[in-house]
Amino acid sequence: MTQTTPAPAVTMTSAAAAAGRGSVVRAYRWEIIKLVHQWRTRAVLGACLIGPFLFVIALDQQDRVPKDTLYGRFVHTSGFALALMLLGFCAQWAFPLLTALVAGDIFAAEDGHGTWKTILTRSHGRTHIFTAKVLAAMTFALAVLLALAAATLGAGVLLVGDQPLESVTGTPIAPGHAALLVAAAWGTAALPLLGFTALAVMMSVLTRSAALGIVTPVVIGLLMQLFTFLNGTDTVRHLLLVTPFDSWHGLLATHPFYGPLLHGSWVSVGYIVICLAVAFQVLRRRDITGG
Amino acid sequence: MTIPTATTPASSGTVPVTGPQAPTRPRRLLLAGTVAAAAAVLAACGSADVTRPRLEASLAQVFPNYYVQQQALLGHPGLAPAAVQARPTCHRGSGPTASDTGAGSDWICVVDYLDGAGKAQEGKFELKVNPNACYTAGAPTKLVGAATIQTPTGRWVTNPVFEFDGCFDPTR
Repeated sequence: MTQTTPAPAVTMTSAAAAAGRGSVVRAYRWEIIKLVHQWRTRAVLGACLIGPFLFVIALDQQDRVPKDTLYGRFVHTSGFALALMLLGFCAQWAFPLLTALVAGDIFAAEDGHGTWKTILTRSHGRTHIFTAKVLAAMTFALAVLLALAAATLGAGVLLVGDQPLESVTGTPIAPGHAALLVAAAWGTAALPLLGFTALAVMMSVLTRSAALGIVTPVVIGLLMQLFTFLNGTDTVRHLLLVTPFDSWHGLLATHPFYGPLLHGSWVSVGYIVICLAVAFQVLRRRDITGG
Repeated sequence: MTIPTATTPASSGTVPVTGPQAPTRPRRLLLAGTVAAAAAVLAACGSADVTRPRLEASLAQVFPNYYVQQQALLGHPGLAPAAVQARPTCHRGSGPTASDTGAGSDWICVVDYLDGAGKAQEGKFELKVNPNACYTAGAPTKLVGAATIQTPTGRWVTNPVFEFDGCFDPTR
């Protein structure tokens, strides 16, 4: 990324004279402003902040526990376990949708509104617009992750309590250390989440349809879950984008292990690079004349 | 991020190129992707994540930890996990089709261990092993008691060893 960031107060003429296009930073800022003003992004972020609290309240109404998810059996005994159980739950069903809601729409929306010509002929080239939109979609994905992590940890500690956490090997972890580990565990979801962001960006560019851009990554995520659920070959499973979502288990062991985390990071980066490269090539070659 | 930008074609001597149209680039990308995927497949080939040695090593570590917790609840604190000396022997399925690898809810582990009083015990554990190298183990009720147990003070609590989860490293 070449960011020769000029002073923000560049006049239109001098900017045009400089390169015929504005900086990535300005395009990025504009994309963020657009996102902030969409009801959808606000609703998703709000839901991520409130959802975990509602979940805990609903959970308190019944004495059964969601044992099928790791840490589900401890949701009433430790707030940290609740945060980890919700991480496992989000990884299975929510993460692809949460990021695709913005990333799957961010390119296709310009097709939908017929505004490609407008934004490209202003002062930004395709590379700048592409970079800015991808960065905006990734920013939103990370904001969602941060909101969810903070809300689940908050809901767990405030409504259940900060009792010691069981490790995945059956030893108690002190509350202070547990809080750090829970935060780190949520952090490991960032790379695979950005992988789904890149996938949604690619679908948004390829299909030119916001609906398909949002739905396709979710369906792909579900198919990957199905493959895992049906006990598909480990060789293929290691290459799926949903597998790295489980790599935090190693952090919670008495003797932590990082092999799956490292492997999952490479897989996630692979998805990000390939999906963004395809999306960029397609967008760069597209014949944008009709508007 | 190394996104290839529109570079000038190498042989731009005669034909003025008006647009980004070198068809080699996506093909090269596709090729690179295929090679990378194939390499990854080959590298990971033949390695099942859930294996008998990994499962046995994990259960030998996790079961004593929960057993010690249960003994403490029952009024016998101070038992060390190492003193339990758990030695599991695990098999998946039964009969000639037993493979001893892979995820499934048909893993059976026979565990020899020393109980809180130092007496040798043997119990059959049923394990549901997930592909992600985590499992849920169900312990034999006649050895470890029911889902809830009564503490010496008369309080009913969840029996930590009746059913417990464990995870192991699938890469080592």
